[in-house]
Amino acid sequence: MDGKAAPKRTPVDLVGDMIELVFRAFVGGVAAAVAMSLAILALSATAQAATLGEAKTGALLLMTKTAGQYTVAPRVATEVAIEVSGMVARTRVTQHFHNPGSEHVEGVYVFPLPEKAAVDRLRILIGSRAIEGRIREKGEARRIYAQAKSEGKKAALVEQQRPNLFTNTVAHIGPNERVEVTIEYQQALGYENGEYRMRFPLAVAPRYVPMGESAPIPGPRTPGLPIAGAGFAAEGLPGVAPVNPVDIVVFIDAGVPVASARSSYHEAAFSKAGDGRLVVQLVKAQEEADRDFELTWSLAPAATPRAALFTQTQGSIDYALLMVVPPQPTEAERRAYTALPREMVLVIDTSGSMEGASMEQARAALLMALDTLGANDRFNVIEFNSRARALHPSAVPASAELLEHASAWVKKLKARGGTEMEAALDLALDGRDTPGYLRQVIFITDGAVGNEDGLFALIRSRLGGSRLFTVGIGSAPNGHFMTRAAQFGRGTFTYVGNLAEVNEKMSRLFARIESPVLRDVKIRWPDGTPVETFPEQVPDLYLGEPVLVAAAATAPLGTVVVSGTSGNQPWSVALTPQADRTAAGVGALWARAKIAAHMDEIARGTALEEVRPKVVKVALEHHLVSAYTSLVAVDVTPTAPTGATATALVKTSLPHGAFDLPQTDTAATLQLLLGLLALLAAGLVAVVGRRAEPAGAA
Amino acid sequence: MSRRHATCAAMFLLLGLGAWQLASAGWIHAKALIAQRLIASAWVQARDGGPARRPWPWADLRPVARLTLASRKVDLYVLDNASPRALAFGPAHVGGTASPGGYGNTVLVAHRDTHFAFLERVEIGDELEFETARGRRARYRVQEVTIVDQGESRVLDEAGDAQLTLITCYPFDAVRPGTRLRYVVIAGRVA
Repeated sequence: MDGKAAPKRTPVDLVGDMIELVFRAFVGGVAAAVAMSLAILALSATAQAATLGEAKTGALLLMTKTAGQYTVAPRVATEVAIEVSGMVARTRVTQHFHNPGSEHVEGVYVFPLPEKAAVDRLRILIGSRAIEGRIREKGEARRIYAQAKSEGKKAALVEQQRPNLFTNTVAHIGPNERVEVTIEYQQALGYENGEYRMRFPLAVAPRYVPMGESAPIPGPRTPGLPIAGAGFAAEGLPGVAPVNPVDIVVFIDAGVPVASARSSYHEAAFSKAGDGRLVVQLVKAQEEADRDFELTWSLAPAATPRAALFTQTQGSIDYALLMVVPPQPTEAERRAYTALPREMVLVIDTSGSMEGASMEQARAALLMALDTLGANDRFNVIEFNSRARALHPSAVPASAELLEHASAWVKKLKARGGTEMEAALDLALDGRDTPGYLRQVIFITDGAVGNEDGLFALIRSRLGGSRLFTVGIGSAPNGHFMTRAAQFGRGTFTYVGNLAEVNEKMSRLFARIESPVLRDVKIRWPDGTPVETFPEQVPDLYLGEPVLVAAAATAPLGTVVVSGTSGNQPWSVALTPQADRTAAGVGALWARAKIAAHMDEIARGTALEEVRPKVVKVALEHHLVSAYTSLVAVDVTPTAPTGATATALVKTSLPHGAFDLPQTDTAATLQLLLGLLALLAAGLVAVVGRRAEPAGAA
Repeated sequence: MSRRHATCAAMFLLLGLGAWQLASAGWIHAKALIAQRLIASAWVQARDGGPARRPWPWADLRPVARLTLASRKVDLYVLDNASPRALAFGPAHVGGTASPGGYGNTVLVAHRDTHFAFLERVEIGDELEFETARGRRARYRVQEVTIVDQGESRVLDEAGDAQLTLITCYPFDAVRPGTRLRYVVIAGRVA
């Protein structure tokens, strides 16, 4: 038709015209569709745009109750002061909340503490006013907090989420205001191989949520979930560093000179204070909270304790903390014991969360373990991610050929998928003994699991004669889970923080598990004194481990006798409380151990309703935060307008892999919109085309 | 001649594009509806003591509970697989959280535009009913509705009491998928 109206045009022109029209119509249609959808996206997704835009400055936006209005999350700077006295440490954690925004907000800060921390004090400082927190049953504490919040009063609530994970919620942080919250806790130090060890956790490991899907992107802990951007910063956005710095200073008063001290993973400055105490300070500019701070120190050999008894009297009750280092076995005793062949089952976590450095460490640790096997030993290797897979159906002799085959298999293992630890434990612990063999299960994982209690119950019921040794890998393994798992498994927990450490830590573990140094440990308290101790039963002790027991007695404590079997010889030591060996906080440590023992009952199948009142009683008596009790502090005068305030979760630094809640939206709406727009554009093209036709024909 | 052809071509192209997008959107909703029907029959069989059957032969999921909110005509089967692929078929129980109807914090997730679209209308005080595969029933009352960032895994943490946490993406009317916000409904057990 066009051809008739313009006879001079050549076929080449026609083709050109046609292409041009198609191109214009299509581009026009698509452009209209894109423009409209962009406009809609821009309108409907203001939240995302604003969050992303603001995130570049390292802050988190949060929603207020007014639609379309956002404010900035508060920031938290943390100061940690740890005072070590003998074998007890008291830590003061000061969190400085700052609200850079222009509205009143509620800050929620999730932070980790050592797994045995007895949190007993909360104080908020507003200007120069200090308000002490009180311990309350959890529900009541929440009610008190909610009431204060609704009345416009400042308030803080410290709750335990898990034994090593706490939240601090602070109501009504005014615009550009600073609120200081101080939390204090007590902790008994670890002592091993003549070294004291103290950890302060800085990163929260995201928990694995089993899903049963393999990950499309390697790395993230929750398989199958897309992670925004390529970086794994706390915000899940590239280039956004955590904005919550941590300062740590440790004062060590060992009573005797400290021979050597070192910080395992962070650069630290060591100095002597005027009063003779050793002062350790975390060097700035590398305080980024993505790796636990670990400090170890040893005393001069002559001063190295063989036994210690610390006491504290509170009311009519004497509390005691008892430590005894067992004697070293003689060479002959060791040989007699190590002559027993072993059946070693090595379990390695190859879930997505292990990707990268963790997997390298785990593999190195596993290969080292294979190296320690002798010709008389038997072994098996199990890997687990979304499912568990054993190299051999049952343990095989450690022949050179089979060991080589196992090494090759281990070297090929890749990290991906979920963490179905239950299946792996099921395979590793069959509840049977292999007669004539020492059965040892070495479990290498980052322990990022959620269903801890179920796993503890499984370990208890299926352990049999086996011993379970957990090896924690990565920058922030779940120390609580692995310590308890090893306890239920009658073994030990070893933490490996980086690749350089694998050799040293694993060698020590293997040397240790060759022989228990002290068995059948018993503690005899003075006659007639009713004593409640935790742990109730002292486990077998391996090389370098001390007996560590917390006790409460209703009568003054006299001489205590600790006995056991060392090699095949009976061994015992007597201890008498001394006036100069009293220590504050021993009662709190005992109460914390008692709460832990009660919580373990849940793993053994006692109903929650039965355990809860027992825990609440102990916790309220000793002013401790527990699963069922919280500390709450409330200001007397209202300082904020009542009504709506935004809640902000202050981001906690995450180690190496961000964890996000599942993505729960589909492209349906977008597709519906695009489809309708395309149809609309098609209609437009049809109309425009028809209109253009007469003009073209004229 | 050429111009008309060009117009036609453009129109059909756009029609095709439109039809394809609409069909994709429809498919998402169809899957969500049909899967729940198929799961319902597997559920009835499991509840009546039959062997655990897969809702369809290649399904990698099983219903573990039934969630109802009578006042809003909600009746959903909860799956044991919370992978993105399985979420197309129904709400899912997040593994590692308390088992449905048990003590602790039971967390369910679902898509904001299909199964959990109703959460937008849920109000504090609404009562949800939960039926487990063994026929045990539990009632929960909505106590709290909150919006959190997707990094806030705190909502998955254990609770001292029996608690039901429903999570979906937010805002409900967002056009583009992949929002960073989550809508969280927390209900405490009442019976």
